Amino acid sequence: MKIGVYICHCGINIAATVDVEKLTEHAESLPNVAISRNYQYMCSDPGQDLIKRDIEELGLDRIVVSACSPRIHEPTFREVMKESGLNPYCLEMVNIREQCSWVHEDKKRATKKAMGLLSASVARASLLEPLESKEVGVTKSALVIGGGIAGISAALGIADQGFKVYLVEKDSSIGGRMAQLDKTFPTLDCSACILTPKMVDVSRNPNIELMTYSEVTDVKGYVGNFKVTVTKKPRYIDEEICTGCGDCASACPYIRIPHEFNMGIELRGNPYVPFPQAVPLVYSIDRKHCNTCGNCVAICEPGAIDLYQEPKDIELDVGAIVVATGYDMFDPLLKPEYGYGEYDNVITGLEFERLSSASGPTQGKILINGKEPKNIVLIQCVGSRDKEIGNEYCSRVCCMYTAKHAHLIREKVPDANISIFYMDVRAFGKAFEEFYDRVRDEKVQYIRGNASEVYKKGDKLVVRAEDTLLGKPMEMEADLVVLATAIVPKEDSKDIGNLLRISQSPDGFFSEAHPKLRPMDTVTDGIFLAGCCQGPKDIPDTVAQARGAASVACGVLAKDVLLTEASVACVDEMLCRGCGECEETCEYGAPTVEEVRPGVFASRINEVLCKGCGACAVACCNGAIKMRHFTDDQIFAMIKAKMGAPV
Amino acid sequence: MTETDFDPEIIAFCCNWCSYAGADLAGVSRLKYPPNVSIIRVMCSGRVEPSYILKALELGADGVLVCGCHPGDCHYISGNLKAEKRINATGELLEDLGLDKRMHLEWVSASEGARFAEVVGGFVDELKEIGPNPLKQNGVIPKKSEFNLEALINETKVYYCVECGKCTSACPVSRLDPTYSPRQTIEKALEGIDNPKIKNEMLIDRELWSCLTCGICGEKCPSDVKYVDFVKRARSEASRLGSIGNCSKAGSLLSLAKIQTNKNIKQNRLNWITDDLKIGKEGDLLYFVGCLPYFDNLFGDTTNSIDIAKSTVKILNAAGIEPVIINDERCCGHDLLWGGDFENFEKLAKLNLENIKGVKRVVFSCPECYRTFKIDYPEYFGDLDFEPIHISELLEELIDEGKLEFNKLNEKVTYHDPCRLGRHLGIYDAPRNVLNAIGAEVIEMENSKSSSICCGVSAWINCDSFSKQMQIKRICEAKDTEADYLVTGCPKCKIHMKCSVSNKVPVDREKVDISIDDLSVIVSRALKSGGN
Repeated sequence: MKIGVYICHCGINIAATVDVEKLTEHAESLPNVAISRNYQYMCSDPGQDLIKRDIEELGLDRIVVSACSPRIHEPTFREVMKESGLNPYCLEMVNIREQCSWVHEDKKRATKKAMGLLSASVARASLLEPLESKEVGVTKSALVIGGGIAGISAALGIADQGFKVYLVEKDSSIGGRMAQLDKTFPTLDCSACILTPKMVDVSRNPNIELMTYSEVTDVKGYVGNFKVTVTKKPRYIDEEICTGCGDCASACPYIRIPHEFNMGIELRGNPYVPFPQAVPLVYSIDRKHCNTCGNCVAICEPGAIDLYQEPKDIELDVGAIVVATGYDMFDPLLKPEYGYGEYDNVITGLEFERLSSASGPTQGKILINGKEPKNIVLIQCVGSRDKEIGNEYCSRVCCMYTAKHAHLIREKVPDANISIFYMDVRAFGKAFEEFYDRVRDEKVQYIRGNASEVYKKGDKLVVRAEDTLLGKPMEMEADLVVLATAIVPKEDSKDIGNLLRISQSPDGFFSEAHPKLRPMDTVTDGIFLAGCCQGPKDIPDTVAQARGAASVACGVLAKDVLLTEASVACVDEMLCRGCGECEETCEYGAPTVEEVRPGVFASRINEVLCKGCGACAVACCNGAIKMRHFTDDQIFAMIKAKMGAPV
Repeated sequence: MTETDFDPEIIAFCCNWCSYAGADLAGVSRLKYPPNVSIIRVMCSGRVEPSYILKALELGADGVLVCGCHPGDCHYISGNLKAEKRINATGELLEDLGLDKRMHLEWVSASEGARFAEVVGGFVDELKEIGPNPLKQNGVIPKKSEFNLEALINETKVYYCVECGKCTSACPVSRLDPTYSPRQTIEKALEGIDNPKIKNEMLIDRELWSCLTCGICGEKCPSDVKYVDFVKRARSEASRLGSIGNCSKAGSLLSLAKIQTNKNIKQNRLNWITDDLKIGKEGDLLYFVGCLPYFDNLFGDTTNSIDIAKSTVKILNAAGIEPVIINDERCCGHDLLWGGDFENFEKLAKLNLENIKGVKRVVFSCPECYRTFKIDYPEYFGDLDFEPIHISELLEELIDEGKLEFNKLNEKVTYHDPCRLGRHLGIYDAPRNVLNAIGAEVIEMENSKSSSICCGVSAWINCDSFSKQMQIKRICEAKDTEADYLVTGCPKCKIHMKCSVSNKVPVDREKVDISIDDLSVIVSRALKSGGN
């Protein structure tokens, strides 16, 4: 065993606090250490070359790099190992920057600590074993969950690369939230005009299999080889046969159902399509509002209606999954001070979108109870930047959509008094600040202050706030109050997270694998994120992330084989008592107890399923399971070395 | 060391995804915290074996910190929750050892650099209050080897071996693992006298640790070779050479024993004594409880080991005896001795002999403690000034004297002879007589008394696939007698056998479906209530 120890100065990041010369000397005194050096920047090319040269000239077989966090440069130095013909798992890193020089001031004590850390790591390095990855094949198709603009963009992105995509949408049409919007900020494109061609592209793309009114109910397997169950909910109309003629709807006696797509502002019939440009343009029957009279069955010429349709499970094999499950809007009933639900002229931003939309219930006229409001107040940050209700984050789109609403009002009600209550205006995107300026020039009054209350005085609403720039409490009358409600995580995101084994950040949105460098990846290999399920985003950011997710997903699909993680658990069959504790404890179904000889049970680990957490190794009462790369021996050696006991 | 210059040493186990990243963030944010903590990275807090914590404390760490993701945020879904359960249980164990304030479990997310710094700062302050770990060792120097193979061969009469192979054919391990042979080990030892290579091979071979030290080979050996003693002493040298047996619970049990070698620890091992149990401060009889208070923590409540201690006191109380029980009792050292760690064994033995004063007799529930006191302590320290006795012997005596009255237990039982009590000390009749006295019908198994089959594990070493097969076979034998109970006189036999049928069983469950319990528990159940 020949260990080389390399100590990085990181400029002065480490060297200013840790005595690197002393540390180098200390390393030389440790068992199995053949050479110990320090250098300005170990991660630089000359630094890496230094290690490579020593490996070649001195025949080193274990390398200890004492530098920054392994979370940053472990991959770099593993590459150095590979290039020098050593197994990458024979590398050990000592974190003397993030966990030593940057957090301690006393040079002497920091150096002493670094010496302890180094001793522990050298002890571990002596016990590191070379590990090999296994190759697994890749199913060349992808699943996209969610048919909003994120899912649509991701699906098209993957399909355009020539891979098969299953696009699963839980509603009866794709389009998502974007389909409900009137115009988009800051360019004021008509939302439907730019979205619907994409929806049609999806339906026409031969590589995309669209599965609407369907939900993912089970996900098994691993990157490259997922087994997914999709449950097709009954829409009671055979979508293959339905021509979308609408005869059934005219025959139905039920016509007073709140129109979901129009935010309940108008009523719809049954059978229905959510909106005229729906894709697929196929009717569905809302069985909650159906007495099975059979009128629709009688009138449907092609015979598409089956009132007793059952849910159907479909099994899919896919290599990668893009999660684009979108968001919910904050429920303004949780902020009762704004009077939403109490006064019908307090509405949400999304309700305003439907009012303003030419295809909406008022054909784009701003009408409240048939009357055009003149005094309109828009309130920002409803349900965002609010610790009291637990949403600390900025919802990112509300400032700009409120500005857009103000602009649309000015266009449609030229003599309206428009006021916006805000805490800060965050106009950070491309052309946002310009749009904000434009709206202010359109005689929209921005008042800095968060409204504390909306109450009714006579037939008028009164908004109470403090103008914090003037330092004056104020009240303002309004005929219409629009609440800029925040983007919040989907109600069922915990269930989806559990299904896919992806985690959520404290705000409830799905966590990306790294906030800066891996924004589309999740911690589960082969599962990627797109759009607002990962956090509030506007449309351009959503599309960018979706195309990015498509690209990383294609990165998986383009490979013929994948290498599995080598640091996984393994079983000593002679020690194994076949008790099954490992099977019980594993979240991934990696260990299974099998009869290995007549009457003898032992556990076997599917190395592809194993994630290397080590829970099974601890559950194993008698040490039959070894967690590779984090073995008991290695960890004990670190403890002993740290405590100055013989290893 | 004064309180002011005491600089605590903390070992922190941080999960890779949240808390290690949180500690990194503290660095990136240049937050300052005291340099008393050294982090060992693990992938998940669920990877942290309780034995890591015990080992760190055993070696003198002043504090151990286990950090994981917040509940709900685990990268591996539920690893942190598993950690929480396990670490809390370890906390209870440490409480009994008087070390509980030295371990903390904390949730630190990747975004909580400040929290990590706070946690460390707070823990350092707390430890400064508590003071140094009493187990702190300054510069441990390993003992030099005094191993002399030839002397060992002479003392254990290995040279008498006539290579008849009776030992191997009788050995329960060899029956399952044909590659294992006591005879061949002895042959290698004899060759090893002149050949250092073969000597070393013999010493570092896994076979040395496969021996159950059950003693059945000694029973059968026509040449009086003391194979079990040979193995015990050879293991000491083997462990010095770095070959150690595979210990259950990742060595927790050995750490537990080693921690007790320190004079300064303040145990709280009497928490199990409820108001209805009467114990004395002085008296002729001391009850040596052994590790029973620690077992339920390590093996879960299903084995219910502490019930054995409670039953023992209950029976003694019924006979009008209020036994002396001491909080300063230490592990007897049996497992360290048979694991080749003679040095720590001696420390434990000395402490026990110092602490046990002014009594005439010491009674044991555990045959391993009993053997250790009866045979090994005198070997090291000369005659004891008290008489060690097993509970079965004492019960037999009390019954003969008419001090205990029972409601006749109209049940069939079969009795499993523990190796230490049976073959090592020749006590076969006492437990059977006691069972008869309480009205149980004792039915013998196919293999009983001196040919009894071992429970499969000794000193927590090399519990393996063969152990399980042995245990299952033994329990099948018991079931075949059609008895209602399988009774044993050893708490460890009870744990091993219960373990083997606790999960998946390689036979029909009906074939092993028999209640397993300890002699004292069965006897206490038969006590006439309110008797004496």
